Amino acid sequence: MPLKHIQWITGFITVLLALPIVIGLVGTLLPAFHYFPPLGEYDFSLSPWYNVFSQGEFYAGLKLTLITGIGAPVLALWLALSLLAWGYQRPFFKKIEALLSPILAIPHAAIAIGLLFLLSPSGWIVRLFSPWLTGFERPPNWITVQDPYGISLIFALIIKEMPYLLFVMLAAMKSIQARESMQACQALGYSRFTLWRKVLIPQLYPIIRLPIFIVVAFSLTVVDLALVIGPNTPSTLAVTLFRWFNDPDLAMRYTASAGAIFLMITIVLTLGGWELAHKVFSAMTRCERSNGKRHGVSDILLGTGVILGAFTLLSAFIALILLPFWSLAKRWRFPDALPSQWTWDNIERAAPLLMELSANTLIIALFSTLIACAISLLMLEIKRHSMTNSANPSQQYAFDWLIYVPILLPQIGFLFGLHVLLIYLNLNGDLCAIIALHLMYVLPYVYLTLKGPYLAYNEDYLLQANRLNNRPWRHYVSVKIAMLKPALFTAFAMGFSVSIAQYLPTLIAGEGRYSTLTTEAVAQAASGDRKQVGSMALLQAFFPVMVFWLAQIIPSRWTEWRLTIKKRLKKALTKKDKTCSA
Amino acid sequence: MKKSFVAASIAATLVLSTSSMLAHSAQTNSTSEKWKNTLQKAKGQTVYFNAWGGADNINDYIQWAADRIKDDYNVTLKQVKLTDTSDAVNRVLAEKAAGKNTKGSIDLIWLNGENFRAMKDNHLLFGPFSQTLPSYTKYVDENARQSLTQDFGTPVDGMESPWGMAQVIFMHDTATLSNPPKSIPELLTYAKAHPGRITYPEPPQFLGSTFLKQALYELSPHRKALSQPVDSVDFDKITAPMWAYLDELHTVAWRSGESFPSSSEEMMRLLDDQEIDVALSFDISAASVQIDKGNLPDTVRSYVFTGGTIGNTHFLAIPYNSGVKAGAQVVANFLLSPEAQIKKQTPTVWGDLSVLSYTKLSKDEQAKFDALPRGIATLNIEELGKTLPEPHASWVGALEKKWRQRYAQ
Repeated sequence: MPLKHIQWITGFITVLLALPIVIGLVGTLLPAFHYFPPLGEYDFSLSPWYNVFSQGEFYAGLKLTLITGIGAPVLALWLALSLLAWGYQRPFFKKIEALLSPILAIPHAAIAIGLLFLLSPSGWIVRLFSPWLTGFERPPNWITVQDPYGISLIFALIIKEMPYLLFVMLAAMKSIQARESMQACQALGYSRFTLWRKVLIPQLYPIIRLPIFIVVAFSLTVVDLALVIGPNTPSTLAVTLFRWFNDPDLAMRYTASAGAIFLMITIVLTLGGWELAHKVFSAMTRCERSNGKRHGVSDILLGTGVILGAFTLLSAFIALILLPFWSLAKRWRFPDALPSQWTWDNIERAAPLLMELSANTLIIALFSTLIACAISLLMLEIKRHSMTNSANPSQQYAFDWLIYVPILLPQIGFLFGLHVLLIYLNLNGDLCAIIALHLMYVLPYVYLTLKGPYLAYNEDYLLQANRLNNRPWRHYVSVKIAMLKPALFTAFAMGFSVSIAQYLPTLIAGEGRYSTLTTEAVAQAASGDRKQVGSMALLQAFFPVMVFWLAQIIPSRWTEWRLTIKKRLKKALTKKDKTCSA
Repeated sequence: MKKSFVAASIAATLVLSTSSMLAHSAQTNSTSEKWKNTLQKAKGQTVYFNAWGGADNINDYIQWAADRIKDDYNVTLKQVKLTDTSDAVNRVLAEKAAGKNTKGSIDLIWLNGENFRAMKDNHLLFGPFSQTLPSYTKYVDENARQSLTQDFGTPVDGMESPWGMAQVIFMHDTATLSNPPKSIPELLTYAKAHPGRITYPEPPQFLGSTFLKQALYELSPHRKALSQPVDSVDFDKITAPMWAYLDELHTVAWRSGESFPSSSEEMMRLLDDQEIDVALSFDISAASVQIDKGNLPDTVRSYVFTGGTIGNTHFLAIPYNSGVKAGAQVVANFLLSPEAQIKKQTPTVWGDLSVLSYTKLSKDEQAKFDALPRGIATLNIEELGKTLPEPHASWVGALEKKWRQRYAQ
């Protein structure tokens, strides 16, 4: 991208991003110190902090948060790497890749409800074997979900995070010379898992570090998933905060704000610890990596990961397949493995709202994702520019870490402060405000998905093209963007599905006046009615699944289509010319 | 002379009575004039009604009302579906924080209890308005129920308009359980005999908190203290029998008291899945509605405890910064009309109990109420028995806090 005024552009975008974040933060920070004019509190005090630290539930929730919030990403990373190492460049793996998108696209609450039905004592697995094998005429009194150790929550988090990591890794693989490394290593006699562990994973990890951080922050702060499938006595810290923020006793807001600040600090510390652990780990394994052994213990580790990963994916799919069944069920009682009575009523009931909801959802998702793509391209180009031109190639712009702040902060504490800003600006309840708020959440994912491939792009193609014929803008589009198509489409699909799944931002910016498929689905999820949730989740997943599918299909066929269209146009034009001249 | 005195006194009485009659009619004139004014102002306004959106039948009812209101009053009613009423409270608070004191985003809220107290105490409500609504003056008898004027012990003071009445009911499947436990102590006996089949929603979910209140009411010897603010009584002493009871119950409860359902809806699902034997609801027609939808077997029936169950009234309130207060009042008034209340009490529509006084209704309207069909599992007014009053609103927070301290760490 031939850019001028780089400093000015980065400055402007950074301010644009920083402003809402800062104001949102201040809106949480001030109540955390007991300053809150609408409730008539103008004096600073530390009492919210005393309150937080005197709640037993806070410590129990924190412990649970740390277990699930660190356990889930570690396991998800392990399983994703195992699956990648096992299947990369194998023909059938392409099919699994294509199947990832529905899991990525389905909103958390829906997948959690699906899992709940699969795994609970009255769930589908027990139904399948009851009563003929288990002898259960009625469900056993087991704690298979919402267990106090958070195991079911960790499982649900892995199901949501592993496909995301796998997706990001697959995109990032394009920017390391994987095939060459694999061929070289295999020629030297390294086993598949060993070469991945010694050569490819160390190259891959730095590229996907930020997605991992996002996954960690997500695990620590997730609310909707934890509400459905997480333990509730105690619940994770994020859920506890959510409850405090919603307490009818408005004075609890101070305690909640202090807790939200504490959760942010926890996130920062956890990420710091994670980074440190990685440094220590890679230092410890350095000599092991270069000892020349062609096989190792880690092969078993990766092998186990494959089995567990496959099992996880399988349960996710079964959970997802069961949801549509619910949307068609009238009676489906334990221990029936399939509904005993079927009906179209559930879908019919959802139908009238469909047009309006779909229109709102699509407008918001399309605009926010397109803007996010444009900003990401711009900022990445500036970054590439500075990497090649400046004396300090590793120089980081504020933008680089600033865009992650919104997704690293607990939504509820931060959005309330932002809402006040929207009201000041008289933008509340406005479609533009919803799009802007979605942009904050979409942008980091788009930027991240695009970052690896974009920065790894070999600029020589562009330079050659410009040497032949100096048309920088045209070549930027027709050479660079064209070559980055797969990454761009993937980034778009990712942003699109993130936008679709947003609940709180839509509600807060739109003040409930713009309903989307997600706000409707979450409102229905409040009913706990699996039939309604099943039908809504189906509709909600439809668009992202379509977009992901298109993102896989279009880039590989684009050139073919473009050329065909061009040829036909040309034919038509020459014909026209001929008729004209004749 | 005497005659003339009599005549004069008659004349004076006449004059006096006429003048008082005149004054009276002038007053009614001015109220009806005022209401006419409100109707006039409301024309063309759009009212954003923030209401819990978790039940299809309720959403459909609101849509029906919206269509009627549009036709009759040219007021547009739009429902904003909430998952939690406190979202709306938070939003009004955010608007106050930003100094948006006019044209707020919420025009009408469905609420009661703690949310009402929080909004009233923090001056987030418009009013008093409810006592001047024509439907209210005509059909509501404030003496009929304490909960019409005392919302969880907080004086209503006209700051919210009654909409419906709720009472705790229990549900059981007659195919598996023919003789359900009919009091809090019996519930424990049953749970001990059938471990893992009894539970209640997790406080602070409102039905969970209500279960605690029900247990407290039945177990505590100090019932009178419940109507007082919790600071003014010995909380630990009054609640001790209840905690002892819960300790015992949890050891034999569903999932050993390690986990609790999150709502009435989840309890009904668990009842259908046969994980539990007794489900609770605050909606007296819940069982019939769910049977109709296929979510419960048709052998499920409702019942109440022999000693009565907790009941309350739910309301509609207008935030202080609503830009369309006239429209909001027109909506509240319509929803309080016999037509809307009869429709609402229809079991296939919603089944929510009317707040109107039966004796104040016309013969025709009474007949319509009498003719309402009842769902297969809905109790009638006599069967619902005695309604126990809600404790003072301050008890909710104290009970929830203590409960989480004891069982959620």
